[in-house]
Amino acid sequence: WEEKQVRGYPEFVQTGRSAHGRPIFALFCGDKDAEGRSWCPDCVTAEPVVRKELHNMPDESVFIYCLVGDRAYWKDPNNEFRKNLKLTGVPTLLKYGTPQKLVEEECFKAELVRMLFTED
Amino acid sequence: QEAAKYEKKVMVLDFVTATPLGNSWGLGGTCVNVGCIPKKLMHQAALLGQALQDSRKFGWQFTEEVKHNWMTMTESVQNYIGSLNWGYRVALREKKVTYENAYGEFVGPHTVKVLPSHVCWVFLLYFLNRAERFLIATGERPRYLGIPGDKEYCISSDDLFSLPYCPGKTLVVGASYVALECAGFLVGLGLDVTVMVRSILLRGFDQDIANKIGEYMEEHGINFIREFVPIKVGSKWELHDTLKTIKLQCAGVASNRKKCMHKKNWFGRDACTRKIGLDKVGVKINEKTGKIPVNDEEQTNVPYIYAVGDILQDKLELTPVAIQAGRLLVQRLYAGATCKCDYVNVPTTVFTPLEYGACGYSEETAVEKFGEENIEVYHSHFWPLEWTVPSRDNNKCYAKIICNIQDNERVIGFHVLGPNAGEVTQGFAAAIKCGLTKEQLDSTIGIHPVCAE
Repeated sequence: WEEKQVRGYPEFVQTGRSAHGRPIFALFCGDKDAEGRSWCPDCVTAEPVVRKELHNMPDESVFIYCLVGDRAYWKDPNNEFRKNLKLTGVPTLLKYGTPQKLVEEECFKAELVRMLFTED
Repeated sequence: QEAAKYEKKVMVLDFVTATPLGNSWGLGGTCVNVGCIPKKLMHQAALLGQALQDSRKFGWQFTEEVKHNWMTMTESVQNYIGSLNWGYRVALREKKVTYENAYGEFVGPHTVKVLPSHVCWVFLLYFLNRAERFLIATGERPRYLGIPGDKEYCISSDDLFSLPYCPGKTLVVGASYVALECAGFLVGLGLDVTVMVRSILLRGFDQDIANKIGEYMEEHGINFIREFVPIKVGSKWELHDTLKTIKLQCAGVASNRKKCMHKKNWFGRDACTRKIGLDKVGVKINEKTGKIPVNDEEQTNVPYIYAVGDILQDKLELTPVAIQAGRLLVQRLYAGATCKCDYVNVPTTVFTPLEYGACGYSEETAVEKFGEENIEVYHSHFWPLEWTVPSRDNNKCYAKIICNIQDNERVIGFHVLGPNAGEVTQGFAAAIKCGLTKEQLDSTIGIHPVCAE
């Protein structure tokens, strides 16, 4: 499997398209500051949990790590992630193209993350 | 989930045997995957088609002809179902319930054999699991017609809601609520639909209302072939085969040939109780129907084995009933509760094009039980305000209540035929549970202007 890091909606869409045909998992988090800390405390908690389970993804998978934007952008109810991807919160971990996703505190649970990566 | 709340170690075995077409589905049972949920969504799709037509009279202008795309609808519906399947997976995992997508079978006291679907059957690998108690909730599956060609050329509700192509011209065999609801939304989406009925519509429901439903459907584009049964289904291949045409030979006074694209098959549903090893643990089932008799605590004749849902003998086949029975059972077993499931006055709704909500006795059952002289029926036709402007039928919507004269004119039956019947009926069901009388009903002031008033 491979990881692609993107920032913002257009980059996400482009990367998603380029990985067409392979299982795509995406983790959406709030932007990080110069010290590498996200404005979203739940994202800070979730990221290490998710990274620890990445080896459970199917071999050909693509893992897209996507920074959505700053806090103000995220709070806007019309931002592209909310409108087009129907995201309701960060962090969100999802299997692209399926209704399977984990939102906020669900991402803290290694068991659930593993289930998302391994189930059909 | 309820049992897990009380710190019990719980395992769920859920397995779907594929349909003759190879169709299967995820966690959630019939209701979520091939029943109530997709049915109601497709019914809604049909209602929206009607609303689009009505909208012109309310001033909406659009020049394009409005058409329906089956694939778009089916994809959205299946997507939603997928999110429900996933939601259940997450909920079970969070509550530490072990879930196996595997076929379970009793092999001996307190023991089931579990056959995972992905394991190679050649090696006959299986696992044995023991438990203190078991709950059977395997539900039912459609029963095929049992005539030549039925499995090759017919589909059932198991296939309809995920059919990867528009069914086209359809013949629906049967007149249960499943048959009529499906026929109803198919015609609402613009398809050519015929319903073949052996005798009566909606057996078990108030027949006066059933006939009104049939009349309405007939007046709104559905052909009924009454007192006919199919005896053979076949296909005739044309040279330039673009469409399969199905020739149907029907039993009846005059032989009738019907050409249609797809034939949907309804001849009832069979309980999934015959191949799960119930005989190995001594659970008694009704040999003829496959249903399991239970006492009023959902216990089978084997004390540690319980059952809920459609497989129960002489109980209502409704999702909320099964859920309630299951929850209360677990609370009685593990939380010291004493409340038993109340199977009386359970409200239901049939989502035919003209919706039907009911709670309590049908008129004929009330007459049979209490005597015609002891019941009073109050009824009324009504014209929904929303139907006036678009000039829709002014004499089709109907409501009636059946009262027991000997018991303060207690309302023992409630029937409403009209839009949003389910929403209307739910509140009245609570009132009936509280012992609603005609006098109390009369002194309740109506909400205006709505159908429920």
